[in-house]
Amino acid sequence: MKTLRFTVLALALALGTSLQAQTADEILDNYFENIGGRENLKAVTGMKMTAKVNQQGMEIPLEIYQLSDGRQMTVIKFQGKEIKQGVFDGETLWSTNFMTMKAEKSDAEATANFKLNTNDFPDSFLDYKDKGYTVEYVGEESVEGTPAYKIKLVKEPLTIDGETKEDVAFYYFDTENYVPIAMESEIHMGPMKGQMSWVTFSDYQEVDGLYFPFSMSQGVKNGGSQPITMETIELNPEVDAAAFAFPEEVAETKE
Amino acid sequence: MLLAVAFPQAVAGQQKDTLRADNVFGDLRARHIGPALMSGRINDLEVHPANNRIMYVASAGGGVWKSGDAGTTFAPIFDEYCQSIGVVTLDPSDPDNTIYVGTGETWTRNSVSVGCGLFRSRDAGATWEKLGFDNSERIANVLVHPEDPNIIYVGVLGALWSDSEERGVYKSTDGGATWDRILYTDARTGVADMAMDPSDPNTLYASMWEFRRTGWSFESGGGNSALFKSTDGGATWNKIHNGFPGGALGRLAIAVAPSNPQVLYTVIEAEQDERKGLYRSDDAGASWEQLNNDFEITVRPFYFSRIVVDPRNEDVVVKGGLSGSISRDGGKTFRSLGNMHSDIHDIAFSIVDSDIMYVGTDGGLYRSWDGGSTLEICEDLPLSQFYHVSVDDAEPYNVYGGLQDNGSWYGPSSSPGGITARDWNSIGQGDGFRVLKHPTKPIIYSEMQGAENVWRTDTEKRLIKTIQPQPTAQAPDLRFNWNAPMATSVHQPDRFYMGSQYLHKSEDMGETWSIISPDLTTNDPAKQNQEDSGGLSMDNSGAENHTTIFTIAESPLDENIIWVGTDDGNVQVTRDGGKTWTNTVANISGLPANTWVYHIEASVHDKGTAYAVFDGHTRGDMAPYAYKTEDFGATWKSIITDEVEGFARSLQEDYENPDLLFLGTEFGLFITLDGGLSWAPFRNNMPPVAVHYLELHKGTNDLVMGTHGRGVIILDDISPLRELNAGVMDATLHFFDSKPMEINERSSFGNSTVETEFVGANRSTQGQLKYYMKRRHTFGKMTMQIQDMDGNKVVDVEPGKSAGINVVSWGFTRKIPKVAKGKTFSFGGFTAPTVPAGMYKAVIQKGRETYEHPFEVVYQDNGISLEDRKAKEKTTMELFDMTESLAYLVYQVDAYMAQAEAAGDKRDLERLQTLKEGLVITTGDNYVASAEPQLREKMADLYSKVASSYGAPSGADMENFKLISDRFATAKAEFEKLKPRVKGGETLQLASFEEFLEMD
Repeated sequence: MKTLRFTVLALALALGTSLQAQTADEILDNYFENIGGRENLKAVTGMKMTAKVNQQGMEIPLEIYQLSDGRQMTVIKFQGKEIKQGVFDGETLWSTNFMTMKAEKSDAEATANFKLNTNDFPDSFLDYKDKGYTVEYVGEESVEGTPAYKIKLVKEPLTIDGETKEDVAFYYFDTENYVPIAMESEIHMGPMKGQMSWVTFSDYQEVDGLYFPFSMSQGVKNGGSQPITMETIELNPEVDAAAFAFPEEVAETKE
Repeated sequence: MLLAVAFPQAVAGQQKDTLRADNVFGDLRARHIGPALMSGRINDLEVHPANNRIMYVASAGGGVWKSGDAGTTFAPIFDEYCQSIGVVTLDPSDPDNTIYVGTGETWTRNSVSVGCGLFRSRDAGATWEKLGFDNSERIANVLVHPEDPNIIYVGVLGALWSDSEERGVYKSTDGGATWDRILYTDARTGVADMAMDPSDPNTLYASMWEFRRTGWSFESGGGNSALFKSTDGGATWNKIHNGFPGGALGRLAIAVAPSNPQVLYTVIEAEQDERKGLYRSDDAGASWEQLNNDFEITVRPFYFSRIVVDPRNEDVVVKGGLSGSISRDGGKTFRSLGNMHSDIHDIAFSIVDSDIMYVGTDGGLYRSWDGGSTLEICEDLPLSQFYHVSVDDAEPYNVYGGLQDNGSWYGPSSSPGGITARDWNSIGQGDGFRVLKHPTKPIIYSEMQGAENVWRTDTEKRLIKTIQPQPTAQAPDLRFNWNAPMATSVHQPDRFYMGSQYLHKSEDMGETWSIISPDLTTNDPAKQNQEDSGGLSMDNSGAENHTTIFTIAESPLDENIIWVGTDDGNVQVTRDGGKTWTNTVANISGLPANTWVYHIEASVHDKGTAYAVFDGHTRGDMAPYAYKTEDFGATWKSIITDEVEGFARSLQEDYENPDLLFLGTEFGLFITLDGGLSWAPFRNNMPPVAVHYLELHKGTNDLVMGTHGRGVIILDDISPLRELNAGVMDATLHFFDSKPMEINERSSFGNSTVETEFVGANRSTQGQLKYYMKRRHTFGKMTMQIQDMDGNKVVDVEPGKSAGINVVSWGFTRKIPKVAKGKTFSFGGFTAPTVPAGMYKAVIQKGRETYEHPFEVVYQDNGISLEDRKAKEKTTMELFDMTESLAYLVYQVDAYMAQAEAAGDKRDLERLQTLKEGLVITTGDNYVASAEPQLREKMADLYSKVASSYGAPSGADMENFKLISDRFATAKAEFEKLKPRVKGGETLQLASFEEFLEMD
């Protein structure tokens, strides 16, 4: 079977660029079918994930909210205190400052870049053409010993330090199951600038008829990584709109 | 490469099954330790035409690097392909995204590597496509038409050591799909330099250079070297020599002044010294005038023929050279550039300010802010070019080695905070090659080119003695290789060998020498005319010395067995300590005569077994050759397959599994699990860089690689590869044996202020659990726990999911304590306690299957008594438990306060509030607005202090411990008194202590 699939791809490549996009689409078709279907995925209006990040004995519990209208929030619990990171209320991107424990807005550039991604829920590849994205089949590559189809996804350009940069990511779809097992993109800021970030996905499990990766590992390509494990994923959760709103000043509640 | 495909399969007919290592390496990942402080040779620079933050460096042996901050920090962008680069060019119509890389360095010294064709990226280096030129070996220029990106010109310098027809100027008009060769001279003459008129892209200049190198000579120049011009996009070419010297010409550079394309500069290598030098044309090449033949202008044309004109001023000209020099009067007079590493190969002016210049040298990239007078080195380019590496048995072990034009160095394989420039120690000048540590004493042997000096350094007393073998009445002329071999002995620590054409042995660390062999080379006089080397410019640096010994290997099993390999192809062995010698090379079939013996590995498994690695690249033969003998060289069999890419230089045998071998080639590291029946490239953080030497560290099983362009690269602990066999590789999950794991107690204070400096990665100090999985785990749950031997969970760890080898790290810690909820964080509470030494097991749950692996955790042998360690563990865990008890107490107090409030019991609410304010911080923030610490903070801080210190708690710790314990007991008693007073308190449904610990 593997040989046959390879032949098909080789043929598609030989036939030129017009067919390449179709091949990428075929991979995506298989992917969406295998994880539960495009229509079912489109019906999802929000996700709440409870997760744990394990840093050498320090288990950090997280709650991650992602909603179809673009709102997002990650709630971290340390020593009984809630800290919010990457909260987006539709307009403002903010996080709790670890020193003051008060909310602070992200800088304008980060917020503008973040807004570009709010149409990515629940999946960047869903209706990617409508979003103005392009996908391209790059070829077959081995990801840590597992053969995978490499797909290039180009989204809206980002602004980094005042300069426009293409927003490119490479997804690696397992040739057997057609689910992403890794994702690669350039790091634009900070000490790792210019290197590639590398995220791997595994432990796909079913939630209400849809499959999601319950384990991810994020790091630098060829470097260290930090795993994050989902304990539960809840679809279409009830959320409190106030939790996303930027608090002008966090209320001092007496403990 | 190509030749390898046609290489005879000498292993055919073997009974043994192959055991392919493809796709098994998983999490085994190389780490790069640099050094970057002396960096390495740079071939070409390219600045973005519109964005002054972006620049590219094409290195001679370490790939392509991109900076987005004007040369302050860099990241490699070409790590999937060969690492020797000739040129980087940005497409002027799409400079943000489209990059051309022509591979194969063009400053053709003796030690140059080879390229692998032309590449293009259309996404700023994320992915690359190959555009052919497979046999080009070295590409000097790529020029892209500024208006029509489909028109591309490529200048191919071509093969250095052989004839080749893939040379000259090539043109594509269809974006690189097809190419026409539009200027060609002959199979010895290639393109040294090209330029395009910025005002007229159809006007092109190309210099052709006749050149050839062998292992023993270099020849620059001939009747075919010439400078050409085309005004019709390369359809027709004319020589533009009006004003040139007559006779044969050598390497010519060409530059067009961007601000005035009528002004051209060339530098000419000619027959007559007085006619060499810089020439200028003010009429676009119609006529030329000689301006200058200073040393810096004429020195070593094969190495320095680069002219760069200031983009804003036609009269400001910079010339590469030993120091590099700059003219501000149109080329009439020059002064040297400021102090930096010598050997300047390329210069680039900033697009915004000509005071800002970048300079590529044999020792990395420099940047000037004042027009080239003072220069600062970029500290983030680990391009060091090792010829050889060795290791010692220190803890952590040190790595020793010599570098192209950058002396000899040693540095630690790990250092707190990462390995930085300050960790490296200089141990020799000039070009460095082999550096060896005395097996038992604080002595290091090092050398410079051609054994001109061999140093014995006492590193404790900081004393140096020069000890190379010298001519004697019996042996008045010694021939040493540029990279002269030396060796120590595992049998006699003070023994020291060196090789000229003879094998020299010293039993007293080089004080006295005896010759223990006849001339072991071919002694071919035709290969001994180095004083005639260089062609039009004499170049007798010693780099071409030939008919010399190149490798020496004393058997680790028998000191009387010594192997010697020579650069002219002899494999000599003695079995009686040098009394008699046998040349065994005639017993090798399939090997071209006189192929350079690069390395001999005498086996640790068997006296008669050895491996010989041959390198024919200096004869234009790029095939890999490695052979094994099991009978002292009477018979040899090839262990190379067509999976091996690039000519081979080094081989390392595993100390335990005789079928596990490592091969270093010009295109990276290859590994066999079946004694050479099949090979697989190792590419996990390992670019296909030239691996000049391999060493396997005995204590750690780390494979240490001396690369010629990316410094020292280490593959930590290869021991899992020893266990791979057909059975293991078919297992769903197989745990590898683990040696007892040592709890690291060393200080972690490390480097700071290294934001712009390359920092080498450390070896992990954590416990590592390693297992093999036949297939990747993608669907369903897979978890991993560390348990004690009774099955009690110590901690959860996240398992690896890769196909192949997985490596899971565990820092020997339990979970952190649950800390009382307060207004702010108790930072001490983030400390995880270390487990005691003993037996543990790793338990993986994968689907319905459970896999267990018991392993031992041991203490470091650092003089701390077991009693002290037990005392530390006891106090740590008492404070851990106390911290969690306090957390539970605060939880109950909070519940009673809520009840008191609900019941309107103000008096008891106040009393509870007072109690709580003494237990945890209730105001302030986590930084300078923090409140006074309370019991929680004091308890957790002491806990963290005791847990993070070595040995038993101090007297002060124990006094403080008593104070805190007493205060906690008082608080608990106070709460017990208050509880019955709170109305409705007895109705509260409180979680038990165990339930409380499970709450978020």
